[in-house]
Amino acid sequence: MDSIQDIRDKMFQAGYICDDKVATVLFLAEALRKPVLVEGPAGVGKTAISQAFSRVKGLPLIRLQCYEGLDESKALYEWNYKRQLLHIQAVSNQNLSVQEIEEDIFSETFLLARPLLKCIASETPTVMLIDEIDKVDFEFEAMLLELLSEFQITIPEIGTIAATHHPYVFLTSNTTRELSEALKRRCLYLYLDFPSKEMEQQILMLKIPQLPEQLAEKVAQVVRRLRKLELKKPPSIAESIDWAESLLWLGKEDLDMETALKTLSTIVKYREDQEKLERIIYRERDLNFRG
Amino acid sequence: MPVLQYLQAFFEELRQQGIPVTTSQVRDCCQAVLLIDWMHKDCFYSTLFTTLVKDYSYKEAFDQVFNRFFEEYLAPHTLQRLESLEKQNAVRSKEDTAVSNYEIGMGSPMGKGGSSQAPGGQKNPLEQDFGRISEAELARIEAFVPLLARRLAAKFVKKRKRNEQHKLDFRRTIRASLSTGGVPVNLFTVQKHREKPVVLTICDVSGSVMNFSCISLALIASLERFFQHIESYAFIDEVADITGLLLSGNPLNFRGHVLRNARVIGASGYTNYGYSLEEFHKRFKHRMHRKTTVLIFGDARNNWQESGKWVLQDIKNRVKKVYWFNPEPAALWNTGDSIINQYSPYCDAVFACPNLLELEKSLAKI
Repeated sequence: MDSIQDIRDKMFQAGYICDDKVATVLFLAEALRKPVLVEGPAGVGKTAISQAFSRVKGLPLIRLQCYEGLDESKALYEWNYKRQLLHIQAVSNQNLSVQEIEEDIFSETFLLARPLLKCIASETPTVMLIDEIDKVDFEFEAMLLELLSEFQITIPEIGTIAATHHPYVFLTSNTTRELSEALKRRCLYLYLDFPSKEMEQQILMLKIPQLPEQLAEKVAQVVRRLRKLELKKPPSIAESIDWAESLLWLGKEDLDMETALKTLSTIVKYREDQEKLERIIYRERDLNFRG
Repeated sequence: MPVLQYLQAFFEELRQQGIPVTTSQVRDCCQAVLLIDWMHKDCFYSTLFTTLVKDYSYKEAFDQVFNRFFEEYLAPHTLQRLESLEKQNAVRSKEDTAVSNYEIGMGSPMGKGGSSQAPGGQKNPLEQDFGRISEAELARIEAFVPLLARRLAAKFVKKRKRNEQHKLDFRRTIRASLSTGGVPVNLFTVQKHREKPVVLTICDVSGSVMNFSCISLALIASLERFFQHIESYAFIDEVADITGLLLSGNPLNFRGHVLRNARVIGASGYTNYGYSLEEFHKRFKHRMHRKTTVLIFGDARNNWQESGKWVLQDIKNRVKKVYWFNPEPAALWNTGDSIINQYSPYCDAVFACPNLLELEKSLAKI
């Protein structure tokens, strides 16, 4: 069993900086074999945490991106209707019995495995990422609940497929709706917030090794202030990395007003937000964003 | 086992503060605590938080209890005591642990009287009444408003029903099958046309609903970010269009901002629902149509003036749905100068929202 410090180090090597609190949750997820429910604002690295974790463990990451109207046929499995149809056509003059044909077309050859089935049927352990679980409806959530407690899927025509290894499960949510109590209870809860200035600086320097320390500090500082403003969409960590990178490409050693104005479009993606920031910068003549 | 007893007292206190801690959570927590280094504060904190709290809105209440319980507990002079206990733990066999975990889980039923929320536990900001909170508390509550707005927005965007998408478009399928010799290789399903939600909000910003209007304005501001088609109006004894007025700034100043920048105060300065509604009808009725959902925020305290309820009736006839959010508990409705019962026949629903939790519940019912 790894210690908390080990996990931190390994996550760092996998390109993810986490503090002791996050490392503890990862440690417990492994020790207690529980799914982790990750909540937090958009762009704080909810998805990245599972990607880094899969790299740490050297296991394949199987991702299920949730969206409105997602159903079992896209998440679990589906019969390959076209192929079945072609098969029936092909064997139609071979005088096969109905039973034989049925056995043929409901075999695994004609089964399209979707992420959850792939994960359960996998020979090796996997890391399962169920992204934006809050987008699906309650029925699907209930189905998922059963899956997360039993780790098996029943296909009427074939039988029950049980997981040989329990996968590591990560669920992310943007809290657009309240998840069911039952689901929350089953999971370890992890709330990720935007990082502190120092941590963001570290992240920038990890992601862009050539970045001068002083520029990293400045970017982290300005981005942090931007997030405190009422913006339509506060800049995410990925966007602050983009920003630092574009500054580097432009050959800037420091972030001044003029450069900031020119490169605003890399960190704020709404016209209203851009205009607002421009107004503040012109008014205050600095990058302190007090107001 | 003093530590486990201490933990048990901790769980009890969390429940007192209104954080629902279930038996299975207690069991998880005890299991987890045995696996980690107790001396490491962040680690210890995170272990308790991740197993016991499943909603970010409880963080503050949890932090308070945690600090009260463990700040001095984790101080250096208690370390030795803990260390010896830990050794004791290590010696104990796994089965023993499971049993004592079980015991501690069962030994503390959900709060007193089987409820997870004790009467004194008002610490969760979601459960504090709008009527009697300080400005600082209001600021904390306000932080949850964007979340509510997002949930509401998600609600309005009509969920595609699962059955709908499997309805076969027979005509298209047969037509497409012609190119494959009559074998329907490609199946087409009927796609339902989805309506874009149209929202219109009317908000009372008078002094009697001071705190509530702060919250409702913050909610409106958040809603404006999520909906493309939204119009907002505010009134005291004069009604004004405030759409777009709240795009920026501190939500706590929204009310002042509205009072300064929109003409919501008329001749008298006292809330007048009747006049405001009639004026609204005269000036803005053309902006409502069959797809609009109208949300009204106010206490319907009309200072004994004309109700103007015919306007609401007309609005009801024009639009899809009318919902009224009243900050007063239902017991106070129609007492004094409250005339909510004159309006309620023309609303699809009237909700009592004395606190944020109730507001959220009522939004969920829409």
